[in-house]
Amino acid sequence: MSLDEHNPEPSNPLGMDGIEFVEYATSQPQALGALLQSMGFMPVARHRSREVMLYRQGTMNLIVNAHPEPPPGLAAPGATPALTAFALRVRDAGYAWRHALDLGAWEMPTRASAMELNIPGIRGVGDSLVYFVDRHKEFSIYDVDFVPLPGAARQPPALAGLHYFGIVQSIYGERTREWVDFYQSLFGFTVLPEGKYFGVLPKGTLLESPCRKFYLQLVEPPPGAEDIEWEERLLRVGLGAPDVIAATRALRERGVVFVDRGPVQPSEKGALTQIYLGGVTFELVVSHLRP
Amino acid sequence: MNLDHFGMDTITLAGPLEAKLRAVRAAGFTQIMLSARDIAGHPQGEAAAIAAVRESGLRVTGFQVLRDFEGLSGHLHAYKVDIAKAMLRMCHALDARVLLVCSSTSKHATGETDALVRDLRKLATLALPLNIRIAYEALSWGRHVNEYPHAWRLVEAADHPSLGLALDAFHLLATGTGLEALEDVAPDKIALVQLADFMWQETRSPEERIETARHLRVFPGEGAHSAEVAELVRRLDHAGYRGDYSFEVFNDDYLQLPLAVVAERAHRSVRWLAGHVARRSLPLRRTLAN
Repeated sequence: MSLDEHNPEPSNPLGMDGIEFVEYATSQPQALGALLQSMGFMPVARHRSREVMLYRQGTMNLIVNAHPEPPPGLAAPGATPALTAFALRVRDAGYAWRHALDLGAWEMPTRASAMELNIPGIRGVGDSLVYFVDRHKEFSIYDVDFVPLPGAARQPPALAGLHYFGIVQSIYGERTREWVDFYQSLFGFTVLPEGKYFGVLPKGTLLESPCRKFYLQLVEPPPGAEDIEWEERLLRVGLGAPDVIAATRALRERGVVFVDRGPVQPSEKGALTQIYLGGVTFELVVSHLRP
Repeated sequence: MNLDHFGMDTITLAGPLEAKLRAVRAAGFTQIMLSARDIAGHPQGEAAAIAAVRESGLRVTGFQVLRDFEGLSGHLHAYKVDIAKAMLRMCHALDARVLLVCSSTSKHATGETDALVRDLRKLATLALPLNIRIAYEALSWGRHVNEYPHAWRLVEAADHPSLGLALDAFHLLATGTGLEALEDVAPDKIALVQLADFMWQETRSPEERIETARHLRVFPGEGAHSAEVAELVRRLDHAGYRGDYSFEVFNDDYLQLPLAVVAERAHRSVRWLAGHVARRSLPLRRTLAN
């Protein structure tokens, strides 16, 4: 590792390069798997030692973790699938991890078994984790820990050009400044000017990744929402599509139902699926990002 | 300003945690400042202590106290980060939103501004996901930071939303620090205000301050500097501070008195303060009349 690689550009201190994978946890992986397949994700590999499955479409990797024994301090998966982690591609995962800990991030509990990769990570919002992955070019992390499913395509194509666009995070009221500071100081995200939104849900605060390949959206509870249950957690994944109308049509043909009333009805800007399995939604956003 | 803005502190009262919670509640207070010892030293264990606090219905003003955190390096820093994380977990389990942090007294700690700011930022980042705010206080016998204007400069420089200033009237009075510098402090960056007075006119040495601070404080209205305490509250109120006031009264005599007697003195102190501070206080009068 050269000196330069340890002193990356200040605007992207970790050499971030997009999302490597997102992870859901559930005790009912088959139900979530069926939903994912209707969203265009295909199962491609199974973890060597744990009840964990890798799904993929196009550039998107998605992990479904149904392993009943969580690492210390974390909850076992519940029946309702929860978005529990995302992995950032970075130049040097070890450096990114130490950098985050030096600044005050919480170390995540480790859980690699013998001969498995120990992916470094930190605690994120709620019970979620943020992983750092640097092996996405020469060989992939999945080559070590996962066994390909017999007969499954290794690289299933993306439906209608779908790609990761962003992640939506719910936060408590008046906590935007805190979470902005978290993502700014640890990772180098920047706040987009007020009023700049994508998709059909124009609310909250948008943060752009330093690699400009995806966004985080922080959403405080809406006014008058004192009675609804609201917690800080990762809420949903946003999928980018170059043509939302075409993507919506393709997904509808596979049985996906979109909210078609009120301000969030599908348009060329975006669309929102109904809530599946008690808590899973996907948002489509018009996007010409090249992940 | 009303009774709901004031809270008692468990360190003022003798006896088991449950009795303290009952006495504070019975006196009409709605919040309580907790000490880590209340939880760690509970005879039935940590979970029982947390349950007792939750069952009391009292809001937790804050949790104290993390000492000697900032300015260390190497293994001393790593050790203190571990301690801080353990205290933050306890704080979180209690639903406390504020962790009180006193300026370091350690002779191993540097006073270099950049290092102190970096450490305070790190602590605030640790607190952030747990929805806890760090309240940084200038201890009047702190090694490098012992007056609130210095603590405020560090808080301001750290510029972290999970970091604020804690003001303790005792420490201001003990060092004779004037109230003028309060004009520089952003009211929304004050995370906690602790109120107490003491009986002497002055404390001349750090040793005398320590002795007085730990054994001989009294409630506002009972001591030699009560006019200044009232003036502090008046200025903070006028500046727009709307956070909590906690009675940080360490007093050996109070530890020998029935809890209800001490709690009544605290209640009387609220009435005294209300009478001396420009009022935003109709609810106070109503509460007291009830």
